[in-house]
Amino acid sequence: MGDASDLYDAIYKNLDVINSNVAKINSNVVDIGEGLVKVNANVLVVSGGVEDLNQRQGILETDLQKLATAFADFVEADLKHKALALAETRIGNLRQELQIRFGFYAEIRRMATGILQSVDTGIVSDATLRTATEEVAIKAPGYWLAPALVAIASWIRDDRDTCAKAIRECLKRDDYKSTLFFMLVMRRLSRKEASLGWLERYFMHQNPYKLDREFIVVLEAITAGAFPPASRQLMMGQCKKWLDQLTGSEGFVEEQRSQWVAFFEASGPQPDDRYPQLKKFATNWALLEASLRAARTHAVLHAFFDGILTSSADLSKEVKVQLDEILSLLVSNFDDEELPWHEKVRLNELIIQLNGDEKSAQAMIATEKHVFQQNVDFLQLLTNAAFNPELAGATKTTQALAVSISQPWIVEAYDSFTAQCRSKIPQAVEMDVDGFKSSTKDGSDEKTLLAKQDVFYSQLLRSELAKLSFPFPMVAIGGLIGLIGLWGLLSDFPISAVPLVIGGIMGGVAIHNNQKAKAKVTEQVSQRKKAARGVLRACIAEAVDYRREHGAEDMKAESVRQLLTSITAEDFSSHSKDVARNII
Amino acid sequence: MAKIIFQTSDVALNAQGSQGQTHTRGYVSDKELLKKRSKRYMDIVASLDAKTLTDTNGMDELMSALQEEFGTAEIQSLPIGIVSKCFLGHPYEVHILDLTATQIIEHYKRGEAMPGDYEKARTLALHNAYAVIEVYRDKMILIRDDGTTTKF
Repeated sequence: MGDASDLYDAIYKNLDVINSNVAKINSNVVDIGEGLVKVNANVLVVSGGVEDLNQRQGILETDLQKLATAFADFVEADLKHKALALAETRIGNLRQELQIRFGFYAEIRRMATGILQSVDTGIVSDATLRTATEEVAIKAPGYWLAPALVAIASWIRDDRDTCAKAIRECLKRDDYKSTLFFMLVMRRLSRKEASLGWLERYFMHQNPYKLDREFIVVLEAITAGAFPPASRQLMMGQCKKWLDQLTGSEGFVEEQRSQWVAFFEASGPQPDDRYPQLKKFATNWALLEASLRAARTHAVLHAFFDGILTSSADLSKEVKVQLDEILSLLVSNFDDEELPWHEKVRLNELIIQLNGDEKSAQAMIATEKHVFQQNVDFLQLLTNAAFNPELAGATKTTQALAVSISQPWIVEAYDSFTAQCRSKIPQAVEMDVDGFKSSTKDGSDEKTLLAKQDVFYSQLLRSELAKLSFPFPMVAIGGLIGLIGLWGLLSDFPISAVPLVIGGIMGGVAIHNNQKAKAKVTEQVSQRKKAARGVLRACIAEAVDYRREHGAEDMKAESVRQLLTSITAEDFSSHSKDVARNII
Repeated sequence: MAKIIFQTSDVALNAQGSQGQTHTRGYVSDKELLKKRSKRYMDIVASLDAKTLTDTNGMDELMSALQEEFGTAEIQSLPIGIVSKCFLGHPYEVHILDLTATQIIEHYKRGEAMPGDYEKARTLALHNAYAVIEVYRDKMILIRDDGTTTKF
């Protein structure tokens, strides 16, 4: 027995120890829990810190980007600044160089204008002219204008020998410019025969494949009668020769023809809103509109050609001013020799003007060059003058001449354009009104279309109603409940009248709702039909108008064609002869 | 339905057998093809419609008129067919005179598609400004009532 109680004691003691240990563990666990909470809080703090860091990094990144752009801007500005400084230095040097090399040229140019003026007024003595011109001839060897001035001076004082020698010399130096110069000076001084002779020489210089820009002005001057009448004959003969030459070789006429077609295509008027319903409901409206625009072009073109052919303003004064302008340009423009230097100066000027932006300056000088060095073939020159005389440096008279010379291929181009328009006329107006797709040729089948629309809506109504099927389930359940009630009633349970009533109400309500929905659908469809009918009728009415207008506009093509075919070059020359007679 | 035969071998142009004309290798330039059509040619093309299919003389006449019109042309440079408005009345709209091999007139109703290259000529054939449209392998030539031509 004693053993057993000892054992119990020992067990109790151990239990106590265990208890106390468990208590310790417990408290430790609580500690750990607390620690975890702390750790958690710390983690939160860290994550907050990380977020903060992220934000800061973002800010840093944008700052860095700003810095990078600022730096790039700075580099660019610096480059520009340097380019500007360089350009300023260069321009000074170039100007100095020009002055050293070609300084006399500028003096001669100034002198040329002065001599021409004094010849006009006759206020300078022959001796002075002689000394002055001979002096520049010595000073500027190689420049064509110097002997030309000597020739003029010697011509004035009737020194035939010197004049012939001087002319020979300047023709040797620059045949083309000298010819143009003498032609213009002789015209200015109304020396008819002499100017005609120079004109002939000028024509001989021209290459029909590569005409200079001023040729259009000369052509214009001849047509307007600024040159003697015989010059017209000369010009017509020359033009005819060139035409034969150019039209004989394939491609040139073809090129002009396609340009004319493109011009016709681009001449269409802006679309208006005459057909709002078709615009909304015609599915092929884009085609319809394009075709109408093309048809309306004919009227515009009629006005265009009519305007050219009927204008008969006397423009000879204007032309004379232009000729004098060429003359003054000729004497004041730089010589080929100095041109590269002047180009360099111009480039540097542009760089300074653009605050050191070298790239833009290069681009600008490229376009400037393009404008001034435009050589075109004769047919292109005619086309340019016909399209836009102002831009080509011509007037209405030359425009009319250009049109009359280009007439054969204008007619061809116009025929092609017309055929192109006509082949694209939509055969039908396709409409889609509220899902009803229909098409009409000219709106004459209104009744048929409206009948078809009626059929469409009655079909629509049928299919819509079919979607609202009879509420069989509700009626069946109601009926079943009613049956139960009926059975109850029959077996003497007055209370069972309730299910009977409920069943009846259920079935009745379902049927009523169905009826109501049907009525609603019918109402909706009839509303839609009413609206759609109005729209369809409006569309058809517009289709009628559209076809009518289209037909009328299209027919104008025939009158334009008549107008074009009635022009002939001879017609024009007789017209211009009148102008010439008025002037002389 | 008319067949278009895109064969390049020699096909007798004349229904009664050619007199060697189709064998001449004459290149016909556009300039040649675009010259004004003679009145005889226009009359024959216009009258063909009324004669309809049963009158075979009409086709022979057309063939000889065509040969006269284009001279010694190579078969490739001749039109493959001529499309024009049909005056048979509703529902017929246009017809094709097939010039390749079958040499028949085919009438087409409104909305009925024409074969291949011909469909392009339909709208123009229906336009009142043009009497007939000659359809070539690579182009169309529109002929006005007065015989003047336009390449398209």
